[in-house]
Amino acid sequence: MSAALTLSEHGRSALVLDRGVAPGGQIFRSVSTSPLPDRTALGPDYAAGAELVSAYTNSRAKHVAGADVWHIGEDGRILYSHEGTTKQVEAREILICPGAIERPMPIRGWTLPGVMTAGAAQVMLKSDAMVAENAVFAGSGPLLYLIVAQYLRLGVKVAGLVDTTPAENYLKAAPLLPAALGGFGLLRKGLALLSEIRRAGVPVYRNATDLAILGDQRAEGLVFTSDGRQEIKADTVFLHHGVLPNPNMTRALGLAHHWNEDQLAWHVTKDAFGQSSLPHVSVAGDGGGIVGADGARHEGTLAAMNVLTRLGHFASDQRDRLAKPRLAQLRRLARFRRFIDRLYQPRPALRLPQDSETVVCRCEEQRLSDLRQGFEEGARDPNALKSRTRCGMGPCQGRQCGPIVSGLLAKWQDLPVQDVGYYRLRSPQKLLSLEEFSQFQTVVPDEGGTK
Amino acid sequence: MNADVLIVGGGIQGCATAYQLARRGVSVLVVEKDYIARHASGVNAGGVRLIGRDLAEVPLSRQSMRMWHTLDEELEADTGFRAKGLINIAADDADIAALNDRQQKMQALGYDHERIISRDELRERLPFVDPTCVGGAMSELDGYAIPYKATNAFRLAAERHGATFLEGTELAGLRRIGEAWLAATSRGDISAGTIVNCAGAWADRVAAMIGDNVPLSHAAPMLMITARMPHFASPVVGAVSRQLSFKQFENGTVLIGGGAKGFADRAANRTRLDYAKLAQASRTAIEFFPIMAKASINRMWAGLEAYMPDNLPVIGPAVNADRAFHAFGFSAHGFQMGPVVGKVMADLVLTGASDFDLSAFRIDRYDRKVL
Ligand SMILES: Cc1cc2nc3c(=O)[nH]c(=O)nc-3n(C[C@H](O)[C@H](O)[C@H](O)COP(=O)(O)OP(=O)(O)OC[C@H]3O[C@@H](n4cnc5c(N)ncnc54)[C@H](O)[C@@H]3O)c2cc1C
Ligand SMILES: Cc1cc2nc3c(=O)[nH]c(=O)nc-3n(C[C@H](O)[C@H](O)[C@H](O)COP(=O)(O)OP(=O)(O)OC[C@H]3O[C@@H](n4cnc5c(N)ncnc54)[C@H](O)[C@@H]3O)c2cc1C
Repeated sequence: MSAALTLSEHGRSALVLDRGVAPGGQIFRSVSTSPLPDRTALGPDYAAGAELVSAYTNSRAKHVAGADVWHIGEDGRILYSHEGTTKQVEAREILICPGAIERPMPIRGWTLPGVMTAGAAQVMLKSDAMVAENAVFAGSGPLLYLIVAQYLRLGVKVAGLVDTTPAENYLKAAPLLPAALGGFGLLRKGLALLSEIRRAGVPVYRNATDLAILGDQRAEGLVFTSDGRQEIKADTVFLHHGVLPNPNMTRALGLAHHWNEDQLAWHVTKDAFGQSSLPHVSVAGDGGGIVGADGARHEGTLAAMNVLTRLGHFASDQRDRLAKPRLAQLRRLARFRRFIDRLYQPRPALRLPQDSETVVCRCEEQRLSDLRQGFEEGARDPNALKSRTRCGMGPCQGRQCGPIVSGLLAKWQDLPVQDVGYYRLRSPQKLLSLEEFSQFQTVVPDEGGTK
Repeated sequence: MNADVLIVGGGIQGCATAYQLARRGVSVLVVEKDYIARHASGVNAGGVRLIGRDLAEVPLSRQSMRMWHTLDEELEADTGFRAKGLINIAADDADIAALNDRQQKMQALGYDHERIISRDELRERLPFVDPTCVGGAMSELDGYAIPYKATNAFRLAAERHGATFLEGTELAGLRRIGEAWLAATSRGDISAGTIVNCAGAWADRVAAMIGDNVPLSHAAPMLMITARMPHFASPVVGAVSRQLSFKQFENGTVLIGGGAKGFADRAANRTRLDYAKLAQASRTAIEFFPIMAKASINRMWAGLEAYMPDNLPVIGPAVNADRAFHAFGFSAHGFQMGPVVGKVMADLVLTGASDFDLSAFRIDRYDRKVL
């Protein structure tokens, strides 16, 4: 939305393809149509999103809701599903903003019914006003605390918050705090959330380790260690320990990526304006590397300025002048982000499965032991392991198991994750109906087709 | 490093050749620039097809088919082979005429593995076929296997017999020094008594290093696979004259081919898909099997394949050098040939001869006598 607004302010239109039913993305999901009686329960940031959405709605941007992009080609061709057919547009400049996905937490039982991500809890809340009573929330990071607080404000009972933030992270993050003070406001928001949760009387377990889901057929609760072995019974367990860039679109397009050790995540390799290894493709927001909602707005604006320059709308020195304050704010946010990344860096034992029976690939039901066997039979590379075990071949296209597989192969060979690499992905990025695909249409965008 | 035989390329031909040589006690080294089965041999449609073969290929393909039927026991591995039969559908009377014509030629040569089936039998074997289809041809021996597994089964069996596989190792140059070949690779020099060129879509480059020129081209046939669906087709399905080919695996997924080609960039090891052509393949699939309208595509991909102008492979000795042999150019149907090609190559390396007539597969069959 920010990029489209910037383009619009300079008299350019953009075609925005978004899978969502309404503009807003992840954080401002359904902000203009919230089913909740009082959307302030979701926090002041959420309500503020309404302003951005309305400016965007009134801009020159052409928003196509329910447009699910399943292919972006390096030739600028974009294929998307919309109203039951596959449509094709060609674009001179492409900006990809697929946002974040939640980092998988492959503890024993994480694939059982009743185990969900905290993000799913929030999506249900924002879109359908649905909640789960007496659920356990486990993991770490601001989004986890935020959703617990959002639950409490709505009067929903929470069985417990199991915080897996390692105690030593506080020490490790402390030296970064002075530099992060520029983002003090944000930090305070996080702390305020935690004390809000404690004041509400929710049991909070700290420095938790050795998590496992209880139950065989479906989740019956969570066991973990925190001051001794603990057990909480619950029908629903929400897990969350941070987010990762949503990799499938940028990977399938073949953009250069690199491993970021601070965020323990693959980032898209790009310049200060988001321009990727393909000059006519830019990436902004969490999809390129986690920058948060404020960072995403700045990045979108910067990418649009660069696109305006590339389209000859203004010269690069004007772009640089306009960009300066934004870049400074992004740097300030980045210092805060480094602190947060350090503080909430997940334990290795929660990022990678420990138990040989733990399912790694949900789609093809591949367990840690299956992957280990594939490795021992000679598969050293994520793609070789995929061909050998089918891990990552299912409909999610490796979104869930990809980071785990790269991590496991790195661990087993004692190699940097960067050297192990990632799945070679292909379009489509979702299950595509054969009937829909057979009705293939080319759409001619109104104005030059800048997306 | 040295070996009696250096094989260039870790696809099914290279791996099967390594296996046949190693089990006969030869010291074998395979260099593969990427990883074993990274290219055509690992990503193909897995069709193990004898039906519809060019007559020159039939003897080899028949022998290979026999080998497929006992391959799991021989290699002590699971190649995923299933003899489900293959039906080529006749859409109209012209197709039936073409089938009758072929039937006569096959009978004259004494081949009986292809059989024309009636409209009723077609419907019985493929109840979901569109009712307008008029009949077809069937081979009961045919089926499919899992390409990556099958290629690796040869590799692992070869390793058990002492063969060495060097992945991530590219052959960059070759020199003949006295009685030996000196191979420059990305991981250092290797000397070998004999070279076998199984380099797939890159084989013309290796042939040139050996000293042979060949009019090889390459292309990127495309495939798509659906999410699991209820079982509706047991045999592998093709068509006499239409671009239709699919098979439903035991897990319910359906692999759709048909021969549509994307864009090949072999220098970059990459392919790009042509979605309009894949959309056409979807239409064809639905036309022949209306139930496929309910399918969802899960993945689409292409592989780099080597083609000869006559769609027949090159199998045989080099013409411009001693102690060098070629097996490449399988033109989108070489997976089925893997088992027999390994045997033929081992015979050529060890005895200089083969039980099969290889004259149709000579590398110099396109050399012109006059300019
Ligand atoms: C589950 C979850 C919950 C979060 N909750 C909060 C929160 O409460 N508060 C907070 O400050 N931050 C939250 N964040 C972080 C915040 O959402 C992001 O920092 C911010 O939204 C990043 O903006 P973005 O534009 O990069 O991505 P997003 O806002 O995620 O926007 C990406 C958009 O791309 C669309 N999209 C993705 N793939 C396709 C496709 N193939 N075709 C078409 N459209 C596509 C999506 O539908 C979405 O609209 C959350 C993140 C996640 C993952
Ligand atoms: C999409 C698709 C579908 C197909 N479907 C079928 C089917 O259903 N049935 C069927 O029978 N056939 C099918 N085929 C054809 C079949 O896959 C091939 O004919 C067969 O796999 C060729 O095997 P190969 O070993 O010659 O080549 P490849 O598998 O390509 O192996 C050659 C190897 O040589 C390596 N190499 C090349 N140059 C060098 C060098 N200089 N140094 C080191 N290594 C090198 C390459 O990296 C490559 O791995 C299909 C092919 C494709 C692409």
